[in-house]
Amino acid sequence: MSSKKADSNAKSDSYSPSELATDKKKLMDLIDRAQDGDEGALPLLRKILDEVPSVARIIDLARNVERSLIENMSGDDVFTQEAIPRNLKAMRKEIAGENPSPLERLLAERITVCWLELQYFQAIYAQNLGDLSITQSDYHQRRIDKVHKRYLSSIKALAQIRKMGPAVQINIAEKQINTSG
Amino acid sequence: MSPWERRERGGLYYTRSRKEGGRVVREYVGGGILGELAAQMDALERERREEQAARWKEEQEELDALEATVEELSEASDLLVRAALLASGYRQHNRGEWRRRRELKESR
Repeated sequence: MSSKKADSNAKSDSYSPSELATDKKKLMDLIDRAQDGDEGALPLLRKILDEVPSVARIIDLARNVERSLIENMSGDDVFTQEAIPRNLKAMRKEIAGENPSPLERLLAERITVCWLELQYFQAIYAQNLGDLSITQSDYHQRRIDKVHKRYLSSIKALAQIRKMGPAVQINIAEKQINTSG
Repeated sequence: MSPWERRERGGLYYTRSRKEGGRVVREYVGGGILGELAAQMDALERERREEQAARWKEEQEELDALEATVEELSEASDLLVRAALLASGYRQHNRGEWRRRRELKESR
C-alpha cells in the first residue's frame, strides 16, 4: 500500500460515522476503499449504515423534490395539486411492492421522482414546441434525454437490489422519517 | 458600427446589417422620416428579443435548479446502494455487474 493511500485510510478511519455520512467526498473515499478490496473499510461502512439515518434523509429529500416539481407543474390549479400526490402515492406503493425493505422503499421514492421529473420536462417541451428556436429545442431534447437516462438508471438500481435478495439490508431510523403518503 | 451613414451630400441614411453566408451584407433603408421609423422599429424588435432571451435564461436557470435537486437525490441514493452492497459482501465487477465476494460465497 502506498504511503499516500495509507494516510487517506488512517484519516477516514478517524472520522465518526455521522461525519462520514454527511461528507459525500469522505464517504465516497471509504466506498472506493471497500470496492478496492480494503476489508478494513467494511466495519466503518456497516457502522454508518447502522447508525446514521441516511435513508430517512434521502427520503425526506425525495419528498421535497417531489413537492417542488408538483408546485411547478400545477401552478394555481388546486385539483392538480391534489391529484398528482395521490397518483404518486399509488405508484410508489405499486413499485415498492409488499413488505419492501428500507432500501426498496427509498429506490421506489427515487423512481417516482425521476418519473415525475421526466413527465414535467416532456410537458414543457410539448407546450412550447411551436415557439422554440432550433437551439432551444435542442436544449430541451438534451435535457429530456438526460432525465430519461436517470429514470432508467433508477429502475435498474431497484432491479439490482431485488436480484440480490434479502442479503442486502440496511437498518433505518424509522422515527426520523416523515413519509406520510 | 452605427446604422446611420453620412452621405456625400450631407444627409443621414439608415442602414441594416445582416449576415448572409458568413459575410456581412448592408441594406440601405432610407433617410429622413423613413430612416427614423425603420430605426425605431428595429430598436423595438431588438428590445423584444432581449426581453425574450432574458426570460428564456431565467426559465432555464429555474429548471436547472430543479434538475440539480433530482440529481442530488439520485447521487445520494446511488451512494447508499453502493455502500449497502459493499457492506453486504458484494463487489462491483469492472464497474458493471455486482457479484458476491468469492470468500463469502464459499463460506455459505
